[in-house]
Amino acid sequence: MKQTLNTIASLLLAATTALAADAPHPAMEPRHRSLFKDHCIGCHGPEKQKGKFRVDDLSFSITNIETAERWQKVLNQMNSGEMPPEDEKQVPNELKTDFLDNLSNTMVAARRALADRNGAIIVRRLNRREYGNSLRELLGVEINITELPADTGNGSFDTVGANLFMSGDQFEQYLGLGRAALDEAFEWQAAMGLEQKVRVEAEEAGKHVRQAYEDDLDGLERAKKWVALVDAAIDRPENAAVVAEMRKTAKTAKTEDAVRREWAKIKGAPAPEEFGFKTLENSADLALRKLGFGAKAGIGYGRPYREAYLNMPALDRGAYLTIGGGGEMLSYDCLTLQVPHPWKSIVGDYVLRVRLAATDKATPDRKFVEFGIDPRQGPVISTHQVTGTMDAPQTIEIPITLTRQHKESNRTLYIREKGALDHFLVTRRVVGAAKAKNGIGPEFAIWVDWIELERLPDSRKDKASGIAALGIPLDDRATPAPAEVRAALERFCFEAFRGVKPETGYLDRLSRLYDTRLQSGDKHSSALKRTLAVVLSSPQFLYLAEPAPDDKRRPLTGPELASRLSYFLWGAPPDATLRDLSARGELQKPEVLAEQTTRLLADARSKGFTRPFVHQWLALDRLDFFEFNREVFPSFDNSTKLAARQEVFETFEHILRHGTSVQDLLKCDYAVINPVLADYYGIAGVKGDVFQKVSLTQDSQRGGLLGMAAVLAMGGNGERTNPVERGAWVLRKLLNDPPPPAPANVPQIARLAGQALTTRERLQAHQEEAQCASCHRKIDPIGFGLENFDAAGQWRTQDTYQVKDDMGKPVKDASKTWTIEPNATLHKGPAFKSYSELRAIIAARGDAFAGGFSMALIEFALGRPIGFRDEALASEMIAHAKRNDYSMREFITALVASGEFHTK
Amino acid sequence: MKTRRHFLQSTAAIVALPVLDSLGFRRFASAAAPATPPKRLVFLSFGYGVTEPTWYPDIKKPGADYEIPKGLAPLTRHKKDMTVVQGLWNKYNNEGHWGSTMWLTGANRYAQPGQSFSNSISADQVAAAKLGLETRFASLQLDDSERAEASGHGPGLSMAWDISGKPVSGLSGPLAAYHRLFARDDTPIEKQRAMLVEKRSVLDTVLENAKTVQRGLSRADNAKVEEYFQSIRDIETRLTKEEQWIGVPPPKAPFGEPTAFNKGTDEIKLTYDIMLAAMQTDSTRVMTYRQPVASLLTSLGIKVFPHDMSHYHTTLGEKLDASQRRDIAQSELLAGFLDKLKATKEADGSTLFDHIALAYGSNIRTGHELSNCPTILTGRGAGLKLGHSIVAPKDTPLCNAWLTMLHGIGVHAERHGDSTGVLKEIVA
Repeated sequence: MKQTLNTIASLLLAATTALAADAPHPAMEPRHRSLFKDHCIGCHGPEKQKGKFRVDDLSFSITNIETAERWQKVLNQMNSGEMPPEDEKQVPNELKTDFLDNLSNTMVAARRALADRNGAIIVRRLNRREYGNSLRELLGVEINITELPADTGNGSFDTVGANLFMSGDQFEQYLGLGRAALDEAFEWQAAMGLEQKVRVEAEEAGKHVRQAYEDDLDGLERAKKWVALVDAAIDRPENAAVVAEMRKTAKTAKTEDAVRREWAKIKGAPAPEEFGFKTLENSADLALRKLGFGAKAGIGYGRPYREAYLNMPALDRGAYLTIGGGGEMLSYDCLTLQVPHPWKSIVGDYVLRVRLAATDKATPDRKFVEFGIDPRQGPVISTHQVTGTMDAPQTIEIPITLTRQHKESNRTLYIREKGALDHFLVTRRVVGAAKAKNGIGPEFAIWVDWIELERLPDSRKDKASGIAALGIPLDDRATPAPAEVRAALERFCFEAFRGVKPETGYLDRLSRLYDTRLQSGDKHSSALKRTLAVVLSSPQFLYLAEPAPDDKRRPLTGPELASRLSYFLWGAPPDATLRDLSARGELQKPEVLAEQTTRLLADARSKGFTRPFVHQWLALDRLDFFEFNREVFPSFDNSTKLAARQEVFETFEHILRHGTSVQDLLKCDYAVINPVLADYYGIAGVKGDVFQKVSLTQDSQRGGLLGMAAVLAMGGNGERTNPVERGAWVLRKLLNDPPPPAPANVPQIARLAGQALTTRERLQAHQEEAQCASCHRKIDPIGFGLENFDAAGQWRTQDTYQVKDDMGKPVKDASKTWTIEPNATLHKGPAFKSYSELRAIIAARGDAFAGGFSMALIEFALGRPIGFRDEALASEMIAHAKRNDYSMREFITALVASGEFHTK
Repeated sequence: MKTRRHFLQSTAAIVALPVLDSLGFRRFASAAAPATPPKRLVFLSFGYGVTEPTWYPDIKKPGADYEIPKGLAPLTRHKKDMTVVQGLWNKYNNEGHWGSTMWLTGANRYAQPGQSFSNSISADQVAAAKLGLETRFASLQLDDSERAEASGHGPGLSMAWDISGKPVSGLSGPLAAYHRLFARDDTPIEKQRAMLVEKRSVLDTVLENAKTVQRGLSRADNAKVEEYFQSIRDIETRLTKEEQWIGVPPPKAPFGEPTAFNKGTDEIKLTYDIMLAAMQTDSTRVMTYRQPVASLLTSLGIKVFPHDMSHYHTTLGEKLDASQRRDIAQSELLAGFLDKLKATKEADGSTLFDHIALAYGSNIRTGHELSNCPTILTGRGAGLKLGHSIVAPKDTPLCNAWLTMLHGIGVHAERHGDSTGVLKEIVA
């Protein structure tokens, strides 16, 4: 520890010195002057200036926006193929490729340098998630904040102040959301200690399966009787003519049914109503449909499945989850529990318990249930492994929180077999496959005894800081005196403003607002809520302001440092401990700061750092950009996709928590997975519904980001892999060598369209054109090395390409299947023969990865785009972490200790 | 509801003079009908561009006798009333994934030293500053209900950017737009006034707090916090407007509240209907709409991911098919909208179409191509030359077209964005 502290102290010094240096100006390599001389200056030089453009005086060092714009023009003209003109001498391909490579990267660097503000950090508004977290800390409730702009999508982190805008509409949204949060919080207080419990016995839900079956059988019998009489009437000679006409004009293949439908015109045929079939239209339709229960098609299709169900044991005590059972079985194939409407209040923390068992028919992949709210369209919230047996059922417990939102929306909680209702095509396939095998349908894998929901009456005994600070009654039994209200408002503001006292003028106005509400007829609680909502829309709450009157950079004050630290590591305001330390001037002490950093990272709130950081750093949003083709990838169900995403977070958090090396993200001999993912990866013996460290075999493809299903799936489109997307992602995220953004106006290569080619053959075309090759020579080889993973992240050795016509239909004899060849040579780098060799090469470039990781951390933590000075800081962070075996935590410790982190 | 209320503002009183009575709605003061119905400006944009070979008319055969291409086929019945313009672009835009961010602004994102992104005012907001004075809403920004990141529109909260180049928020999805336009407030007038007073004191309170925050901030920070002040001023402007409109009930919607709709085609159709309703009721005269593409594809039964679709060039096949079907679906929707604009009468017997200037297109041609942006201009409101396939000189600023439209509807800006003058080719 002492060693660490000394390093940090020297770091502080080093980084502070770096503040003084000036940013260098990115420059083109001088060797490219010859290209200008040979190909450009003739028309764009001292003699001629075609298009009023000359390059002979264009500085190779890009020091200002004007120069950047001129170079941008050069880049655009060459990219689009307009320069040099077709009838002029062309630039040799390799030279052009190098030139464009150099220029496009120099432009990225130049744009960054020109946007550099010498490290100045623009005042930050709380971004959407920080705002939500701050409300949670203050009021103890979570509300839906998705109506606010997401603050992402600008290509930088959602902490970058310059991108956090404000608008009139948004101000009104803050007012509205503040009120909603206060309503929630006040209701929560009122419901304190409330005990509520409800249990649903599954056999009750299962009873209707038998009832529906018996009804159908009964209907069948009645329909048979009716049809027999109608058919007898049809056969009567006096009806012959009319029946013949009916048969002639029948428009359906089922001629006889069409005739029976016209029973009213047939003498002697009884009305279906006499047999209990009553509808508002032609009741014969209902009778004829019931007849279908005896057939092998129509509604009779599901009869064997229902009969098999009714023959299962233990139906008197429970029910089985079904697949593809339709409306006659369990609705949506779920067992459901509806939160009772008479409950006084539903806000609260609850535990949902489910007693259940896997039957002896349950194969390992079917020993999972998923939980969610709203069976028709609610997403999977969690997935649980079923380890209980019919002899010894288990009880799983799922913690959930219900809010006022659940009052109005669907309040049906459901349990169903994993993936049973993701997509009708998958369900149809599963049912079809089972029927082909046993003639009945999917085996019944999960038996449920009961579901129960119980409110935890004292789950939040410790009041949230803002609520505790109020210290006056929150109900309307008595109206507190004005002075009490004013004092309460003052205390609340102090909490909301993170330990800064509100000014008198502001408090006066707040008190008046409260009075006005009372005078206009509001009760105390209502007037109080409206007033507090104004506090939650005020700039002192919404902005993390750090004054700097003379425009000079200066060290942060203790409270400012506390906020910067807690919004970095929690995405939430500082707690009492941090505030206390900062007020006493203790927090700036290196050992105290290091200790607090460790404490914050160990706290559950650190998910407020890890989740959004990892999500944005690794660009995981791409996982939601497309639907996965479930016909191609039936096992990549919603639960698996959820687990795949979580794996990335959980692995990162595992590394952070255990002080292990950040390099583990490149390659390691373990995976942090849950049973769902273990099943997907084919790893046996993982039990328990938590993500856990699982050792991998030597030859495993997993271990590290490159082997994660989520990462691989993002590098595709839900159906086919996209080596370019994958290669670019690896360059950006793992090798810290991001390709320039996709350039505009590069001619597309269309000549290979419609041909049955392997992916590699198609991408080879990139090497022919300099505009493409300048980036793709780096990108594509990496993508080739990952081709052994399909678009859902599973290992494969073969791939197929099927040409499709303009209607999207497969073209006959235009398909190609090939064995994947993962060998390639990196640009200027070594050759590799396989995925594992590629992974080894990437893993050996750990310093580059650490560099990219550090830069991302810096931008996220400081809330400003990274600039030149940050390279020095990143080097220091890496050097410091290196002395501690690249421990991920040490990167953070070093950043927090740096001069930049302590400077406004 | 077809009642437009025209305001003549005097020092003491505001007199509402409803004027439009085209579809049988109650007429208040017919004598006060203005000589001509008001001009309106509408911009419709989409991400991901179009299918190059089948969307554009033959560039070599401009004029009135051009052959309508496959991608525009559903617009054939409007051929005489619209013009396809080629050769326009935003020269500063290098962002191959931004369909709308700079479409109406022509800005250079790198123009501001020390910033990696900046924008400038969009053409619709230039118009709103003038046309918006007389309506309940200065402008309306409609937005798809999709996630902005995957929409192909690029950064922004809507197509609109204010005078400082800051994003203007949009209404997400047609229901939000419907409610904004037609939600009724049954509160008694006196109470409404009292609420306005209270809203003002809320604003005063937060302003007081903002001054505390602002004290001692660096210049750059001050400029940022200025956004907060600006947003409060915007609300004050809105409140002033609300005050003027107190006692004037929101117009009755021409159709009931839509309860549910399918995303994609239905959503776009419904949004067009709401835009039409906004014009019928003269709730606003300036509108922009960033349309969805991903959900449009889904609603057409297309499974191709939009970004993949826009890169149809290397594989053609189903990606190309998806791209072309998208073009046709969008053209059909636009054609339906034009039908309704032509069918809806103003008080003087003319139609909405006679007084509107409408631009439809994207900053992206196809793939990452940003030159020759797809552009269709229509409506008789701005004196544009209709019925032609016009090919402007290569790399003419899109802003020249916007400037021409602004002039056409009576907004005489000197220049807009990177404009170099009006686009004579499109003036009738």
